[in-house]
Amino acid sequence: MKIAKYNTKENTLLVGFPSNGLVGTFSVSYLIHHLKMKQIGEIEMPDLPLTLFVEEGEILSPIRAYNKNNLFVIISDVPFDQYLAEKFALAINEFCKKNAIKKIVIVSGMETVNQKKGNPKIYGLVTHSTLDGLLYNNQISKFLNGSIFGTDAAIISVFRKTNIPALVLYAECHPFFPDPEASIIAIVTLAKILDVEIDTRDIENKIDKLRIQHRNLMKETIQTLQQQQEKKTRTPQIYR
Amino acid sequence: MRNDDDFRFATIPPMINSLFDDIEHRILSPLSCLREFDNQWVLEFDLPLVNKKDIKVTFDEDTINVEAKLNEKYSEKQIGDVTKFEYFKKSLSLPEKIDNKKTTAQFQKGRLVIKIPKKVIGHQVKIT
Repeated sequence: MKIAKYNTKENTLLVGFPSNGLVGTFSVSYLIHHLKMKQIGEIEMPDLPLTLFVEEGEILSPIRAYNKNNLFVIISDVPFDQYLAEKFALAINEFCKKNAIKKIVIVSGMETVNQKKGNPKIYGLVTHSTLDGLLYNNQISKFLNGSIFGTDAAIISVFRKTNIPALVLYAECHPFFPDPEASIIAIVTLAKILDVEIDTRDIENKIDKLRIQHRNLMKETIQTLQQQQEKKTRTPQIYR
Repeated sequence: MRNDDDFRFATIPPMINSLFDDIEHRILSPLSCLREFDNQWVLEFDLPLVNKKDIKVTFDEDTINVEAKLNEKYSEKQIGDVTKFEYFKKSLSLPEKIDNKKTTAQFQKGRLVIKIPKKVIGHQVKIT
């Protein structure tokens, strides 16, 4: 099989938002910090409940855009219901058009109820076969079977109809608890894909505290995800 | 003043703490989830910064109580003041028709997994 070499110099957008295990939140935040990326703007969504965060006197919008060289990042600190997920996906598409983005990478978590011993695994799902080489070259197993819902599904649905290919990285994680350990696997994989060096020791040293610190966001995320999943026929899971 | 070398996530906890931490007694409310399987209920508690020996699980009539002492104080700024939390504590109502005498518990990587078998009620129907 002939695999096209992936061009790391083209504009790439990385997207993170609260989902299973908060994997996207942890890994994308960590990359922003470690690559010392600069905030270049905010993503406005008129239907999003008006929320601003204040950190150390600095006013932050819940959805922000960052940049360094050819890498762009959009990160959301708030989870989306089904309606807002579609709006978010369309906002990402607009951002891609304005910034000549050639591909997007989304980081998310994959529910593993009975996590086996050892390191969590990571799987990749691509919207266009042009990104198959990226999976192959970085030894990422292809996500072959399963169902996707929520914000991931909204973004995939939008981008599979465009000419901008998208790769979704799914790290195996605990579905109901913050899982910084799974995020480390995602960070290592992202570093390979983006051809950057990332030292994960900082997050490794803070795993326990991050789990405590993000309890509220995890709870809100699960409640949002469960609302999105209501129509699915499966054993109801109770989250308390 | 923020030190740029100190890694922090930009995500900010919600203004209203939905987990009902007890600031006065320095007790954190842990995340927990309850899942139903064919023969049992599986109840999980996320207890980072905890050692196995410092966890206490007790049953009341229809409630399960989990208490754990943190192996180091956890500081968090809530409503402007810094609180140094020392414990996790949570009580949950139990599902009906359980056999809590056969309950088992495991603690690994800061997660407490409690398996509570369902009580077998009824009788087998003979097929002729």
